[in-house]
Amino acid sequence: MCAERMPFHVSASSQPIIRFDHASFGFPGVVALKDLTLTIAAGEFVGVIGPNGSGKTTLCKAVLGLMAPVEGHLHIFDCACDELRCHHRAKIGYLPQKGVVDRNFPVTVLETVMMGRYGAMGLFRRPGKSDRSIAMESLAHVGMERHKDSALGHLSGGQQQRVFIARALAQQPQVLLLDEPTTGLDITTQHNVIELIQHLHQELGLTVLLVTHDINMIRTRVDRLVLLKTRLYAAGPPADVLKAEILREVYGKDLVITENDLIIVEDYHHHH
Amino acid sequence: MLDLLTYDFMQRSLLAAAMVGGLCSLVGVFVVLRGLAFVGAGTAHAAFAGVALAYLMGWPPLLLAILFGLVTVWISGWVEEKGTMKLDVSIGILYTTTMALAILFIGLMKAYNAEVYGYLFGNVLSVTPEELRIIGGLAIVVVGSIVLFSKELYFIAFDQEMAEASGVPARRIFFLLLTLVALTVVVSLKTVGAILVFAMVLIPASTAYQLTHSLSTLTWYSLIIGVVCSVSGVLLSAVLDIPSGPAIVLLSTLVFFFSIILSPKRLRQPIPAH
Repeated sequence: MCAERMPFHVSASSQPIIRFDHASFGFPGVVALKDLTLTIAAGEFVGVIGPNGSGKTTLCKAVLGLMAPVEGHLHIFDCACDELRCHHRAKIGYLPQKGVVDRNFPVTVLETVMMGRYGAMGLFRRPGKSDRSIAMESLAHVGMERHKDSALGHLSGGQQQRVFIARALAQQPQVLLLDEPTTGLDITTQHNVIELIQHLHQELGLTVLLVTHDINMIRTRVDRLVLLKTRLYAAGPPADVLKAEILREVYGKDLVITENDLIIVEDYHHHH
Repeated sequence: MLDLLTYDFMQRSLLAAAMVGGLCSLVGVFVVLRGLAFVGAGTAHAAFAGVALAYLMGWPPLLLAILFGLVTVWISGWVEEKGTMKLDVSIGILYTTTMALAILFIGLMKAYNAEVYGYLFGNVLSVTPEELRIIGGLAIVVVGSIVLFSKELYFIAFDQEMAEASGVPARRIFFLLLTLVALTVVVSLKTVGAILVFAMVLIPASTAYQLTHSLSTLTWYSLIIGVVCSVSGVLLSAVLDIPSGPAIVLLSTLVFFFSIILSPKRLRQPIPAH
């Protein structure tokens, strides 16, 4: 049986909401992610890191219920992922990787955010006043309500990301799943977007899964890091995952964690 | 010119042009936004092959046109979904194959059949009351479906994967859209012909695309441009005694070029981040 709908504001608890149990994903002959066992609990802020092609996007698709495991099991909200119904999917707010969406599409900010309501509303229903007010509330959460009638294509990259985060929020999700939300943004904007995500995690009690290459930006903010390289390499508090020997093994380079920074040093040993 | 409007055939053709123009421009919004232009062009030729086969065998042309059109769009959709072949390549092959079939069927006919060519080039002035009823019926089906599923259609046109991820039955809506494209093309075949029908689908929405940044405004603009251009095209063709299909399409193209010149998108300035 599937769990009942959850309210928007969920307090942090240890209730598991995503459970991978020896799950493998891929196509015949190609394994994208092998033998993954991982539990995400309600209210957690989890960073997902790993080199290119390590299965980060596969993990996203799996969590969205778009990809079923070829082996093992995946449970989302206590449903096997192939039993996921539309209203379950709506509980996961998703920010796709930049570039997937056509930025010059003729659509206004409010029209974009309203799309976040469509899945949860179901077929044959027309968006009403309450949907509009949820969309406006979502825009307020990301500080973009003033731009509701602006053309999406006219906004800066960081503002567009905020609008897409608002669209995810308009689903009134329990989980926020973000696939490299800072790619292609300048440093200040990257910081602002990550801060916004952290703020939403704290304010709304959202479970956050943040896929990123930017280890520095998130390592002091997340509860847990998940390091992938076609399998689960390490998972735990950032300090336990970001160990020199683990990083060297995964990235094939020496990465050094200093007090404030994480730097790549190919000839680290020459310096010391 | 006003006395023209008193003729039955003229009233019928204006009504047909308005319906076909409205239908094409409405479906065109989603075709343009979802990037299905080539799929539609291929469908028109497939539907024409259906018509040719129907005349060869003495079967009902509309039925075969619908059948050929639907099979082509569904194959196109399936190929796009599989992603095993580039869509332009697979449609290009389907497009030319169905056209080859059409030419073959025409070649197998023992006598020259002017009616078949009517479907190729279209003639809105010869629309019969029965055809008008069929156009009206199918228009109700297509417009009804668009109204019923508009929010899902907009979403998959914007980003199909995102729509699916957020709980919209995106695949089914995509195939619904393909079906609506096929029905629209078939309905319009007699009016503007297989070669020109796709201009009526593409041009009004592309023109509207130049003029607005809002999805709802885009849809209304497209609809208005489609209906006005079709009706004016028919009037122009009657007054100047020129074929109706080219009159509609060339008029629409003219409006399109004006929209490019007047487009606010050419003047756009990004708003600075803060």
